[in-house]
Amino acid sequence: MTDRRRLIDRRDFLTAAGAVYLSSLAPAALAATLETDAVFATAYQRRDGAYGAAILSEAGQILRVVELPDRGHDITFDPVSGRSVVFARQPGTFFVVFDHAGKMQPVTVQSVAGRHFFGHGVFSSDGALLYATENDFDNAAGMIGVYDAGAGFARLGEFPTHGVGPHELLLLGDGRTIAVANGGIETHPDFGRAKLNLPTMKPSYALVDRMTGDLIEKHELPSALHQLSIRHMDTDQTGAVWFGCQHEGPATERPALVGRAVRGKELELIEMPEPVLSGFRNYIGSVAANRKAGTIAVTSPQGNAFSIIDAATAKVVATRLLTEVCGVAPDRSGFLVTTGTGSIVEPDGRSSEDADHVWDNHALRIEA
Amino acid sequence: MKILHHPSAVAAAVALATVVCLCGGPASASKATDIVTRSIDGFIRPGYRAFHQSTSALYEAGKALCTAPSQAALDADRATFAKTVDAWSRIETIRFGPVAEQSRLERILFWPDRKATGLRQVQAALADKDPTVTDATGLAGKSVAMQGLGALEFVLYGAGSEALATGDEHRCAYGAAISGNLDAIAQELETAWAAPDGFAAIWANPSAQNPQYRDGTEAVTELMGVFVTGTELVRDVRLGGFLGKDAAADKPRQALFWRSNKTVDALAGNLAGMRDLLEASHLADALPAEASYMGKSALFEFANAASAAKGADGPIAAVLADPDRRAKLAYFGLVTSSLSDIFGTQMSGALGLTAGFSSLDGD
Repeated sequence: MTDRRRLIDRRDFLTAAGAVYLSSLAPAALAATLETDAVFATAYQRRDGAYGAAILSEAGQILRVVELPDRGHDITFDPVSGRSVVFARQPGTFFVVFDHAGKMQPVTVQSVAGRHFFGHGVFSSDGALLYATENDFDNAAGMIGVYDAGAGFARLGEFPTHGVGPHELLLLGDGRTIAVANGGIETHPDFGRAKLNLPTMKPSYALVDRMTGDLIEKHELPSALHQLSIRHMDTDQTGAVWFGCQHEGPATERPALVGRAVRGKELELIEMPEPVLSGFRNYIGSVAANRKAGTIAVTSPQGNAFSIIDAATAKVVATRLLTEVCGVAPDRSGFLVTTGTGSIVEPDGRSSEDADHVWDNHALRIEA
Repeated sequence: MKILHHPSAVAAAVALATVVCLCGGPASASKATDIVTRSIDGFIRPGYRAFHQSTSALYEAGKALCTAPSQAALDADRATFAKTVDAWSRIETIRFGPVAEQSRLERILFWPDRKATGLRQVQAALADKDPTVTDATGLAGKSVAMQGLGALEFVLYGAGSEALATGDEHRCAYGAAISGNLDAIAQELETAWAAPDGFAAIWANPSAQNPQYRDGTEAVTELMGVFVTGTELVRDVRLGGFLGKDAAADKPRQALFWRSNKTVDALAGNLAGMRDLLEASHLADALPAEASYMGKSALFEFANAASAAKGADGPIAAVLADPDRRAKLAYFGLVTSSLSDIFGTQMSGALGLTAGFSSLDGD
């Protein structure tokens, strides 16, 4: 009962805090854009320091914003209800549910005691449940929190990710298996974002049954690569999962940073030409697949570069330099990318800058 | 240019990158070389040299205590420990280069030891009189939590340490082994930074062929990262680890070096080191004229932090129990936040380094 009451109190708080602002587009133009085109969603920081999430047109126009109490991270979308959820960046303790068409007031949900979010989540295919990676920080154990999307996002329970420091998670094509990137890095909110176990970290990739919580498969990289944190993922046109890593070992080491996971097989790391790999500065910030085009994009804000990989041959087909590029989402036959300096670049290279916002690490495509 | 596979895309991508950058342009390679060289010669090399000198004295004092135990010898050993903490605190915000290799950073100081794993290992080694921890070389292969300053602090100040004055052969030998191991690591660091063709040369000579620093901006960004991550370390990890929102939420036993009463000295040493690095590097001289005040702002705040720390001296539990001294420590935290903003936002922006919204502080 106590929990239920707290949830209601939280929602009152939310209505007050999560103001939504319409863009300066004329209402008719806005409606037309929302109905006909794909739109994109990303967390941002305004140059005056305020945080939020924005719905953007392909051309970089802000269609709508949702204010956030602190820095956001990734956004996930439920096509059934048309709602999106933006998660607080780790070690944040909230997520905000909003509707990019602006038909409902945003709702903010707090994490339960002893847990915080890692910034990523995913809906079940029917939109009934929301899954979020969470930190059971006192036990240094990764968890997937389960929320009832039909009942005000009440937390129904949780199951382990079978690893430390889970980051992104995906719902695989069977609609039942959740893939989790256990980054392996132990953190505790008492010590901010400090990494507490670098000498002994052990990242893994786990498949978990979302119905039972059972572990289906778990894979680790070879022990020599135990400091290679698996963090972001997307699924290609064949159902294989592509993942991007961040190396926590010495900068003089240049391990492979991108890999592929196929059910029932060991993880496979993808070779890249040395200058491309070296240019990523041991850091992949985001991974996205364009399933129609059969390509994967990996971005590196540390390296100010991103590459496009042909999924079938696992070869890098293009590399671009772009300052602080990180957010990436499939668009037409390529990718739309966003940067920490406020620019949005379309697949054809057309770029728009935003004087008031800089874009956070991830971008999401929302189909109209 | 070599990294672009499609030459046709080169011009567009490079032009884009230039347009995107709202800043005054990247630091030229030669300007970066000057800043980095001054940082190395004026701060990093002397800093590691001083750390190595302190560990050598520590090792000598540890061996002397074992040879002839006495309260005076124990006091002398503890004094060299305190000096080692001071020397380390000044240089520990350098978290890249040789110290990032072979887990040296964690072997020197594994902290926080949140689940007290390291403490339990140290206590078990002492209780069992584990013969394998009394040799510096063997110790280097053990858990990082058993071989650094945290372990040594428990040996010298923790429960049972008073027996060192009258002779506790195993405990003393373990302490001396930790000291010897620290001295070996400190020597490696001093040597690696001193080498003319080592990491220092890589950092000071950015170029397209350089595997780690492609241009001056990347080299200077590494330096800026010392201030950005250093202030975050002090505020979020070190201070935030034990200073609560109010006194009731304080956790004095979660403070680094609470047993040796070096908590506040270590915090002050971190900031004093960053101040010295700022001065040695002349980083502020590279600021455009309209932003030149930022260097002075930083020095002003470093001075505020130093006097706040001085006013909050003493065993950390006593400091936290005293509203006046606790307020000074909270003010120290506030000043550290201000420094974080000066370096991470203002100075980075003015120098044309990316503001670091995603790239320096990723996820």
